[in-house]
Amino acid sequence: MQKDPEGFERKILHGFVDVKDKHVLEVGCGEGRLTWKYAGASSLTVGFDPDHDALRVARADMITHLHESARDKSRGTPVHFANASASNIPFSKETFDIAILAWSL
Amino acid sequence: MQHESMVHALDEIRRTLKPNGILIDLRPVESNWSVEVSSSTGQQVAGRLNDMPMGLADDEAAFHAMREVESRGWYIKEKEDEFAFFYYWDTPSEMKEFMEDEWEDFEKMEDEVYLKVKSLWSQANADARVRVRVKMLITRWKKL
Repeated sequence: MQKDPEGFERKILHGFVDVKDKHVLEVGCGEGRLTWKYAGASSLTVGFDPDHDALRVARADMITHLHESARDKSRGTPVHFANASASNIPFSKETFDIAILAWSL
Repeated sequence: MQHESMVHALDEIRRTLKPNGILIDLRPVESNWSVEVSSSTGQQVAGRLNDMPMGLADDEAAFHAMREVESRGWYIKEKEDEFAFFYYWDTPSEMKEFMEDEWEDFEKMEDEVYLKVKSLWSQANADARVRVRVKMLITRWKKL
């Protein structure tokens, strides 16, 4: 199974918000499928999800994406994944420029 | 997620956003998504899925929550658009299995549509795949 091979989601997301040099919070990041479509441009990305198994996949994929970033010196974005629920977001107030509800409302 | 939980989550997100911060709400919406066969020679529509009550209720709860936080003056809508998001499978049986495992509560494919997509796929080019056209909604909100 393949999701959005045309990349419509990435294109429209970048048309809706400029994440360059921004702090981004992704709510319900799951396995990080959407995360890697924008995280390369942000200055900080934090994705959280209550699903431990999905986060395990996201963290495993991070190694691949960090290697890609290392080859491109213009990238190299800090990305963090956390186990949390939207009912109690474990960050202090006014931390992020952008929040993305990723298929989670 | 229930309505009250959604409103609480939107308040939590608001708390963590900087002044004038941006919230992007990106999600699929039920809309009797079409089932298609796609190949190098083009696309053919086999039929449409049936929206299930739970999926429709989830959509209504999400729209209700956003209307409520807007009326509370927490966010203002700046921009909204729809777009297509495609799921692809190599065969109709793989698609059917996925739907029964993952979309059971949200979308149902009638036997008539399954038979039609199987027929179209078997007659199409060797590179033909089956796909579902999911209706997506993206909305940009600004924190007030």
